[in-house]
This record gives sequence, C-alpha cells and structure tokens, in this order.
Amino acid sequence: MLSASTASAVGKSAKSTDLLNSRSIQRVVVLGANGAMGAGSGALFTLAVPRVTFLARTKEKADGGLSAAIKMVRSSTVANRVETGSYDADFDRAVAEADLIFEAVTERLDLKREFFERIDKVRRPDSIVATVTSGLSINLLAEGRSESFRKNFLGLHFFNPPNVIVGTELIAGKDTDPKLVDFIDEYCTKLLGRAMVRTADTPGFAGNRIGFKVLNECAILAEEHGPLLIDELVGPYTGRAMTPLATIDLVGWDIHRAIVDNIYELAPDEAHETLKLPNYMADLMAKGVLGRKTGAGFFGKDDAGERIVLDPKTRKYSQKSAIARPELPFIEEVSELHRVGRYREGMQAFAAATGPHAAIAQKVIAGYISYSFHRVGEVTDDISGIDRIMGFGFNWAPPSVLVDVIGLKPSIQMIEKAGLPVPPALTNAQEGTTFFRDPQVNVGKFFVAA
Amino acid sequence: MAQVPEVYVLGGYQTDFARNWSKEKKHFVAMMREAVLGALEKTQIEPSEIEVAHTGNFAGELYSKQGHMGAFFLEIDPVFSGLPTSRHEAACASGSIALLAAGAEIEAKRYDLACVVGVEQMKTVGAGEGGDFLGTAAWYELEAQGVEFPFPKLFGKLGDEYDKRYGLKDEHLAGISTINYANAKLNPNAQTRTWYMNYDHAMSRDEFNGNIGGRINISDCSQVTDGAAAVLLASPEYAKKWAERVGVSLESIPRIKGWGHHTARIRFEDKIAESANHEYVLPHVRATVTDAQKRAGITDSDGIDGIETHDCFTTSEYMAIDHFGLTAPGESWKAVEEGVIALGGKTPINPSGGLIGAGHPVGATGVRQVLDSHKQVAGEAGSYQINGAKNIQTLNIGGSGTTSVSFVIGT
Repeated sequence: MLSASTASAVGKSAKSTDLLNSRSIQRVVVLGANGAMGAGSGALFTLAVPRVTFLARTKEKADGGLSAAIKMVRSSTVANRVETGSYDADFDRAVAEADLIFEAVTERLDLKREFFERIDKVRRPDSIVATVTSGLSINLLAEGRSESFRKNFLGLHFFNPPNVIVGTELIAGKDTDPKLVDFIDEYCTKLLGRAMVRTADTPGFAGNRIGFKVLNECAILAEEHGPLLIDELVGPYTGRAMTPLATIDLVGWDIHRAIVDNIYELAPDEAHETLKLPNYMADLMAKGVLGRKTGAGFFGKDDAGERIVLDPKTRKYSQKSAIARPELPFIEEVSELHRVGRYREGMQAFAAATGPHAAIAQKVIAGYISYSFHRVGEVTDDISGIDRIMGFGFNWAPPSVLVDVIGLKPSIQMIEKAGLPVPPALTNAQEGTTFFRDPQVNVGKFFVAA
Repeated sequence: MAQVPEVYVLGGYQTDFARNWSKEKKHFVAMMREAVLGALEKTQIEPSEIEVAHTGNFAGELYSKQGHMGAFFLEIDPVFSGLPTSRHEAACASGSIALLAAGAEIEAKRYDLACVVGVEQMKTVGAGEGGDFLGTAAWYELEAQGVEFPFPKLFGKLGDEYDKRYGLKDEHLAGISTINYANAKLNPNAQTRTWYMNYDHAMSRDEFNGNIGGRINISDCSQVTDGAAAVLLASPEYAKKWAERVGVSLESIPRIKGWGHHTARIRFEDKIAESANHEYVLPHVRATVTDAQKRAGITDSDGIDGIETHDCFTTSEYMAIDHFGLTAPGESWKAVEEGVIALGGKTPINPSGGLIGAGHPVGATGVRQVLDSHKQVAGEAGSYQINGAKNIQTLNIGGSGTTSVSFVIGT
C-alpha cells in the first residue's frame, strides 16, 4: 500500500532533492519531551521520521508528553512512531542512536549547557544537535563543546504550538557547518511544512526581538491607560489575531520577562526603554502572578466567574464591566472597512485618525514598523525575513504589509509624528514601491474587524 | 458538435482556504473582493475591462441570510456600477454552472471578458447546523430532514454500492485520503496544509478519526471551510489583444477545450436504480466526463495529464477514477495501488489536494478546480506542478452525483 511519503518525492527541484539526500534523519530524540514545545515538536517529527524518542526526567513524564502530543495533533497514530524513556535510563543509548538530537528543556543557559555537555560525550560525530531556545545565544550555548558538536549545532526555534504555527527561526552559530544549515532549512520546509527564516545569533533573534518589544511597550502603556484600553487600541484591527496584553498572559509573564530582560541587557538599541520590564509586572510576579497559567495576569476571572482587569497603578483587579470605555470612533471606522475587505482604506483611516487615543495606537504601530526596518542587517539580511516571522510566527501583519496598505508617505508621516526614527529603507524608497512580495500570502487575513 | 468560438482562461486567484472569515469578523463580500481583485492583479487587467460577472454560490441565504449574491459583485469596486451580474446555484457544482454560463455568453459573442467568482462562507454556523444546510443539496424532505450529517451517509451508500457490485476495501479509500492530504501540504492555499495526516491515521478508527456514518470516517471527508476563487474568461479577440499586452503567445494561453454537463435524478436511490444494469455506478457522471473529452477532441483519459476531481468524500474520488476511465469499471483500487493517481503518477488526481486536502467552500469549488487546472497548464502550480501538463480535466458534482460538470482546460 501507500506510504505517507508517496507525494513527497515530487514537486522538488533537483537541487532540493540533492540537498535533502545529503543527510538522513531516521531517528530523533527529543529532550524535555514533557513540555508543550517538546511534545508538539516531537509530534511534528513523526510526520517525517520513523522513530522519535521522547525523553524526560522520568518515563512517566515522557509518557505524559506523548499523551499531550497525541491530543495536540489529534491522532493516536503518533504513538506508532514514538518510544518514551527517562534521562537516567535511556539518555546515553537514545542520544547515541539519534541522527537529530532536539533539545527542548527549560529555557536556562546553565541547564541547557549541562545537557549539551552530556550529549557531547555520547553523540555520534555526525549527528545534528538542535536547540529550541527562544533567544539564548547559540554561540554561548555551544561554548566549551567539541569541534564536531559545534559544527553540527544550531538553533531551531519553533513557535508554540508548533503543529499550528509554521514560522520557524533557524540560527547558525559561528562554527556551524553552512551545508548543515542549508540542509535543515530545506528539510524543515519540505518535510515538516515550516516557513523558515534565517536569523543572526542576536538576543531574541528576529521574531521575539521585535514582537516582545511591541508587547512590552503595550505593558508599559497599560500602567497609565489601563490594560483594557491598550488592548483595544492595539487590537486585532491593527493587524493581529490576538491582542497584545492577552498574548503576554498566554505566553506567561515569566517567559515575557526572560525574553525582554535578555534583550534589554544585551542589545541596547534606539528603542531601549521600551524593552524595560515595567516595575508593576516585577512586583506582581513576586506575588505569583504569571498570567493565564496562574489564573490571572492583565485579565482573569473572579470567583463568581466575572471578567476582571488589572489596574497596574494599584496592583489590584476590578470588574471589567465597571471600567468606563471611551468612545473610539476611529476603531469602528477602520473595522467597518476591514469587514468588507477594504484594508487599504481601513489602515489609511487609521493613520489619518486624530486625537489622543489614536496617537497612542499610531505610536505603537509606527514603532513596530520603525523598529522592524531598523533591525534589517542586524537580525536578518533583509526585511522579508522579518516579514515572514512576524506573519507566520506571530500572526501579525508584517511591517512591509503595513507600509504597503498605509502607503509610503503616510507611513513615514506616522513615524515622524510619533517622534521615532524613520528607517532609511523608507526614506530612500520611491513612491509606489511594494515592500511585501510574497504572492502566496493573503495580506487581508491579518486585518481583523474589531 | 458545432464549432464555437473558443473561451480562454486568462488566470485567476483564490483565497487561502485555511482562513476562517467569521473569526476575522468579515462579510462574504470581503472574500469576493480579495478573489476578484487578486485575479485582476494577477492577469494585469483593469476592473473597467470586465463586461459581465457571474457568481457561483450554494447557500448564502442559509449561511449568511443573504441572497442576491450576484449584486454583491458591485460592492467590490465602484467601477462595476451598472455591470450585468447573476448568481448561479447547483449545490456543490454552483461554481462550474457559473463558468458554463459565462463561457456560453462568450461563445454567443455577447461579451469579450467575463469574471466568474465562486464564493461560500460556511463557518458562520456550527457543524450540525451546517450539515443540515448541506442536506438541501439532496431531496431534503426525503433524504436529509432529521438526519445528522446526511451527505456523508449518502456518499457512504455510494461506497456500499461499489462494495456490492465490485467489492471495496477501506485501505483504498484511506489511500485516496492520504494522497489528497499529502498533495495539500504542497499547496499554500490548502485548508489542511498543516494538519496531521498519514496513511496510519486514515486507517485509524478511534475518537480522533470518528465515524460519521456507514463506512465514512472523518479522514474520508472534505471539510467545511470559507473561500472564494475567481477566474477571467475571454473571447479569442480579447485574448489576442491581452496576449500582446502581457507579452505571451495566444497559443500558450489555456482554453476551455471541452465541457460536459448532465443531471441525474436528485434522490440517490433513484440514481442507483437507474444504473442497476449499467457498468458505471453513475452513468450520467460518466457521460459528463466523456462529453468533455469528445468536445476537446480527446479520445480517452490517456490524453489527459491530470485531473481535479470532486472528492467531497473518498468514495466520490473512488467513483471518479473508473468513471474517468483510468481503470475498467469497478477497478479503481488498481489506480490507487499502482500510484497512477499520485503526484508523479501517470494521471495525478487532485495535485492541489482536492476537496479533502485543499478544502471545499461549496460555491467556490468548481471555480477553484478550473483555476488549479489553469495553473497546471500555465506551469504556475509551484510545488504541486505536474511537469509538462498540457490538458487537465475537472469534475465538479452537486448533490449525490446529481449535477455533474466537467471541463478540459488545455493549450
């Protein structure tokens, strides 16, 4: 009968086929398979690999990861290709047998390095080691490892949940074999259905560097204006599936802090202050507030099931229904245009809106565009990489799409009005330039009516 | 058959069938707008050049409480004010009926450039309610009223009829499902391109691949989604001018080389009774396929490089395989086993992923099939390209094999 790979042999160029044949991945071991990322990635690998080993601290935890993987992709057949085990009993054998060692343990430099030291002792010299870090330095993680380890080591940053979000960052270290990078790029694209973006080994890489800058800026603004208003002002109508502060609640405040602290410390840039974690978040985290996983963050529910919203000034929650909502006619205007597919008119109305509330939203969006274009050359070679990861990883309108729909001049004016630096790529562009050039993407999908 | 002016397919555009337009909080006109403006951009045609518009839609009245879908074409752009428009309905074949009407008007020399847009927004309601709406494509009172998911059950009966006459194995239906899902992974507009699927899953029978009725499990079904597809059809005169303008040869532009169109009685059991002594289970579907081939001057399916067929369920594709003549009647399983229908095989079926893989926004499907055929012939199908495709044939079916339309698109 048929195998799952029947169709995978076609639709590829000769170059692509050569590249895919340059290595063979028959066995994968996932370390940290009990976590959401480990389990989800593990399930993904079973699409292409006959044997995937899920390892965790105990076999029971790894079994839990397998159950989670089955539920995530909704197929019990994942188990046909997975074996589970523990670090104590199975690590050395499983790592030695693996063609690809996929590390998805907790995001801590010291812990990951302990694992790499152990891997270095038992892995085959030709096996690939990939880390799913969301922003730790690949070069730092590889420090002290053998030459063959460093040559075969790279960052492979899937976004959660990896079976749904296809945007993936690929980060080479300074000693990584360029042929391996080409192979992994092609392998993940063709066999795992990923939208790959190569990024530099910079803090937060491309997606989190830009995405969490915007999220943190919203958290800072929430202190003065309240989370409810900020999430409405920078809501889905500005080009995103989920509102910013609800996103921080979902990701977890601890993860948010780890990412922005890392960028703030190691990558001082023109938007440095927007990457500083607000004090109120640190205070509340000390009291155990971590977002959705602890029941509440910016948003939650009280004991009676009523929706509650944090007041960052008082550090207390109040009922959502008791918070006054100002009239925001420009949001309604933009949403009505989005609803009938008039995205250009919608975003042009956004850029032209007046008043203090519109100015807040415009500043955040202008900041996103300005910050993204200023990262070209630093985190990716060109804007298309940033566009891809913001579109396929965050489900946000990519910065180029925003410039295209708003228009070049109005975009520049919006950035100037916000007092932010205008990227040279915009200043030097001819009127009528199209910045986003991926015909496979429906740009309309990013603009949700409120 | 009478000589008529040829109808050229200049190109088109489809929306990403993975999108949920209710989650985006959008009206279906946004979907029509994206498809039509996308088609114009792709073909470098100005909106003012369109002379007539045809909309294919099944059940806007039910899903969006909105009829008169043809009129919404004018909401796409003010330049369309006054444009003649109409809406066509024949259940899941609505898109192809709209294409037939537009093609006939060009053949009759009424117009030189027509836009056909198929559209369906289905995620406005839950699965049960939507299943009931789809039941109106059958004889609702006799076949669907009070039945949960009537269509999977009707197409399950099609499988039962094959089983009775020739024998049918689940393994072959699972093979069809597997190919469609695998092809869909190559299609950037396919609904299921990120879904977890392989042969083992298609053969699994637990809660993740639940039974929908009879021999039909979830992996045997195309699934409800939102989407629109638009194509531009042109007369030879317009095509000639357009070819010069965009710098291609007239001969390289895909045309509708042949079409077939038949309707069978609406009730499934009446169809089966009619075909009791016939070698084909659905003879009117067979006639639709062969008519299109004859009109195209093609002897049989050896003259076809690939097929975009109506796999609303794996059983309908199983039926299509022998009705296209890829095997003798009742031997469709051979084409599955021998890899004939896989991408890279002799006659690939549904390189796009078909309805099962690419998605089935009902009114858009017939137009999407012709658009995908155009992409194949024009060499623009990207990762799911059939190398060197010259002729691609479609089969679009409304109801339980009731209204059938087929086109041969080629150069």
